[in-house]
Amino acid sequence: MSSSSVSETGGPNFVRPNFPVKSSARSHRNQAIMVSLLIGCALVTLGTTVGIIYMLIKESMGFFAGDDINLWEFLTGTKWSVGRTQGKFDYGIWPLLSGTLRITAIAMILALPLGLVTAIYLSEYAPKSVRAILKPTLEILAGIPTVVLGFFAVKFITPNLLAPLGEFKTFNATAAGIAVGILCIPLVASLAEDALRAVPRTLREGAYGLGSTKLETTLKVIVPAALSGIISAFLLAVARAIGETMVVALAAGSSPTFTMDPRGPSQTMTGFIVHTFQSESVVPGTPGYYSIYAVAALLFLITFGITLIGQIVRMRYREEYN
Amino acid sequence: MANDYYSNPKKESGRKLKSNVFAMVCLVISSLAVVILITLLATIFISGGSWLNWEFLSGVHKEDNPEGSGIGQAVLGSALICLLCASVAIPIGIGTAIFLEEFQPRNKILRSLHGLVQLNISNLAGVPSIVYGILGLTTFVYLFNLVPSIQVNKPIPWEVGATHFYQTKTLGRTFVKFPAGDREETSIKLTQNEMCVDADGNTFELKLVDKRSEAPKDPELKKGYALRGRSASRLTERSPWYFHLPLGKSLLSAALTLALVILPIVIISSQEAIRAVPRSIREAAFGMGATRWQVVRKTVLPAATPGIMTGAILSMSRAIGEAAPVLAVMGGVLGTTSGIKSLMDQTPVLPVTIYRWAGDENAGFENASSAAIIVLLGVLLIMNSIAILLRNRYEKKLS
Repeated sequence: MSSSSVSETGGPNFVRPNFPVKSSARSHRNQAIMVSLLIGCALVTLGTTVGIIYMLIKESMGFFAGDDINLWEFLTGTKWSVGRTQGKFDYGIWPLLSGTLRITAIAMILALPLGLVTAIYLSEYAPKSVRAILKPTLEILAGIPTVVLGFFAVKFITPNLLAPLGEFKTFNATAAGIAVGILCIPLVASLAEDALRAVPRTLREGAYGLGSTKLETTLKVIVPAALSGIISAFLLAVARAIGETMVVALAAGSSPTFTMDPRGPSQTMTGFIVHTFQSESVVPGTPGYYSIYAVAALLFLITFGITLIGQIVRMRYREEYN
Repeated sequence: MANDYYSNPKKESGRKLKSNVFAMVCLVISSLAVVILITLLATIFISGGSWLNWEFLSGVHKEDNPEGSGIGQAVLGSALICLLCASVAIPIGIGTAIFLEEFQPRNKILRSLHGLVQLNISNLAGVPSIVYGILGLTTFVYLFNLVPSIQVNKPIPWEVGATHFYQTKTLGRTFVKFPAGDREETSIKLTQNEMCVDADGNTFELKLVDKRSEAPKDPELKKGYALRGRSASRLTERSPWYFHLPLGKSLLSAALTLALVILPIVIISSQEAIRAVPRSIREAAFGMGATRWQVVRKTVLPAATPGIMTGAILSMSRAIGEAAPVLAVMGGVLGTTSGIKSLMDQTPVLPVTIYRWAGDENAGFENASSAAIIVLLGVLLIMNSIAILLRNRYEKKLS
């Protein structure tokens, strides 16, 4: 076979196969070896999941094994302190969980509307020139390490944006929430834009043909048609905000509080884990050490559950248009 | 009545106005992203721009001295961990992607494995990175406590590339060392003659005496004698390929943990690159009698390589910015006195340095932190530009 024949058929030059090949017994044996290697690669990801679940269950059981702490008190308690106070442990998850929920709520109030409107603009309205600026901006914003946004929250958002508004502490839930919201905007925008763009052209043209304006087409036809994709984007953003670590570790402070006040410090589940590792005070085998795993198990359950629901919602949506 | 079929001109213009106003509102809200990005960059450059100089780029962290601190070690550590992480995650990721895209098994068990892996990957991508950090701590650092963990003043359960010595002082006031053999104590008493090596590399037998007077008077000869019962302390020399199990709080643990973090991203982007290769190319190869693996190796992979590399670089830029898993696995190290000698050493990395400096009570570290952020963002910018260049080249070739 001549080596220049492929480009005549219009195929790209660089994918020209180096043939002829011989399908011998050897090449089939090679294939068998390679396939088993590939299966080995695929098993690594399964192993990771199994490892995470095994580790969280095993070590959390170590946490609940003693007489001091039981699962019910962990899930309903409203006091969290590492170490004994007056001879008993206070491991009630609610101060940490409420911190996570407070910050997630603030982040979502910011990120969901902004992300959705940006997605609508990008998908339905944006002229090429605006798109050429907006799209790379969102990509850069998405690529900024979260620790940088944490720095931004402490050094800019709190002193410059929040301080004039009221009595905000140096470390507070609002600044952390805003920063987490900022990092969720590109996520919501790009996922929701994908969902909006997947709506078939015919729906748009039908709406225009009936005399709808662009606004009516967008809000009454396209957004409802893409709703399941948008909801799944929202759910992924919520999961991302709950699991966000470095922003809250820097900006939300290190005291677990059980309040609704967004101006004060609020340690989250992820923040607690990072602060514990950073202090390097935990000795393996103590309740303080096992508590990391119990908190991580709850965190994993919540984020895994939300991601799963998001996927199910999106899969249903896919069926609608095929 | 017939009028109802035609739109009211007044109402019509109202609807159009509404639509145009909405477009403007959308534009304003969307441009918030640009405003945020500019504010963020401006804040960081104002705070840290003037701190960037060669001393800062090459220096090390110093307690309570932000002006004298630098990020040399952190940059080196980040680069090393990123390379190690990539060399683990990229082959496994590409392998998994090939398995998922090109080998649709007919066997029932394998097919369910196929579906399970695919579902699992999208779920893994949503797991918070701190959970990976805890996984890395439990598996790599402590090895599920299957072997005794590494403790201070205790021998390491299993190691390669380390030579243990005992060091002691002779009557001639020179230091000599002798091989530890099977002894594991941190300090022993001299009880027998030992074959020793002195500072110049000469080997000789160290003789023990009970009293100083028993040794020769000549200062040169005295160097071959030591008092019986004198203590000798344990000394360990590590080669560059030094390795131990469990991996402990080492940069190898951190790199492996980060590899798990980016693995789903590598797989998903490689899958997309492989999927983008036209079917006709595969079918031409099959038509020539190639086995499936030959098709993959000789046609699909070469065609998908630019796309795969783009995804790989983007995932590496994710790994280089991750702080939480590294904090969990290595602790918040800011600097080491000896630098990196082997994969079992701890090392500071850029994101952790930024985190620790940003949280420092000494306000000067705030500026140092922003300067480090500028460096990190610069590195990310370079990596992303390479990825975009690759992507553009790739798109041209296939169209």
